[in-house]
Amino acid sequence: MQVKTCGIMQSMRRNLFLYLALACFVGLIAIFVVDGYLGTYDTVYITAGERSLKVEADVWQRQYPTYGGPIYEEEPMSVEGDKGGYYMGANRDEKISFRYEVDNRVFSTYKADIEASVWHSQEKVRDLISRPISIAAFDKGELEWVVDNTELLPTDILPEQSYQYTVIIKRGEIERRIVVFINPAGYPRKY
Amino acid sequence: MQLTYVLYGFGVLLCVAGIGYLAAEYVKYMSEIGKLLALLLTVGMFGFLGKYFEELGW
Repeated sequence: MQVKTCGIMQSMRRNLFLYLALACFVGLIAIFVVDGYLGTYDTVYITAGERSLKVEADVWQRQYPTYGGPIYEEEPMSVEGDKGGYYMGANRDEKISFRYEVDNRVFSTYKADIEASVWHSQEKVRDLISRPISIAAFDKGELEWVVDNTELLPTDILPEQSYQYTVIIKRGEIERRIVVFINPAGYPRKY
Repeated sequence: MQLTYVLYGFGVLLCVAGIGYLAAEYVKYMSEIGKLLALLLTVGMFGFLGKYFEELGW
C-alpha cells in the first residue's frame, strides 16, 4: 500500500514539473503577444490623387525600404542607407494629404512634440507642421497636413525630369522618412 | 527502423531550429522588460522540462 502511494506521489511530482514547463511555455507566448500589442505605434495615411496608401507601424522597423505606388527613376535607388524608409510615387500636379496617427497603447499619457518638414538634398525646404500632442492611455491622436507638389517643384524643371523630396516626421527623438518621387510628366505611360 | 528514427530526429531538429529562428527575429522588436521576462520563462521551461525527464529516469 505504501509502495503504491509512493508511486502515485512520484507520478504527481513528475507531472507537476511537466505542467510547470507547459505553464512557462504558455507564459512565453503570452508575453510575445502582450509585448507586441503594448507600445506607441505610428501610422501614416497618405492620399495622393485617387490613391490611398497606408504606412503601417511595422514599416519603420523593417531592414529594407518599402515602396508604394508607381515610381519612375532612371538611376537605381539606394537601399543600404534607407532601412525603414517609405518610398512613394506622385504626379506633378497632385496635392498629397498626410494623416499621422499615433496609437498610445501604454498605461500612461503620451506627450511628444511632432514636427513634419520637407527636405531636398539634405536641406530643409519648408516646415509643414509643428505641434505638441498629448494622448491618453490606450487612445489615439492624429495630425493632418497637405503638401502641394506644384509649390515644391523648381521653376526651371523640364517635363521629362523627375524630382524627389523627403517628408521627415519627427516625434520626439524618433524620425520617420517618406521619400516622394515626382514622376516625369509622361509617366506612368498608358499602353 | 533506425533510419526512421534518424529522420524523426532530423525533422525535430529542423522544427526546433525554425521556431528558434522565428523567436530570435521576434525578440529583436521586444521591449527590454519583455526580453527579460521571456528569458526567465525560457530558463524555467527548460529547467522544469529537465526535471521532468530526470524524474522519468533519463
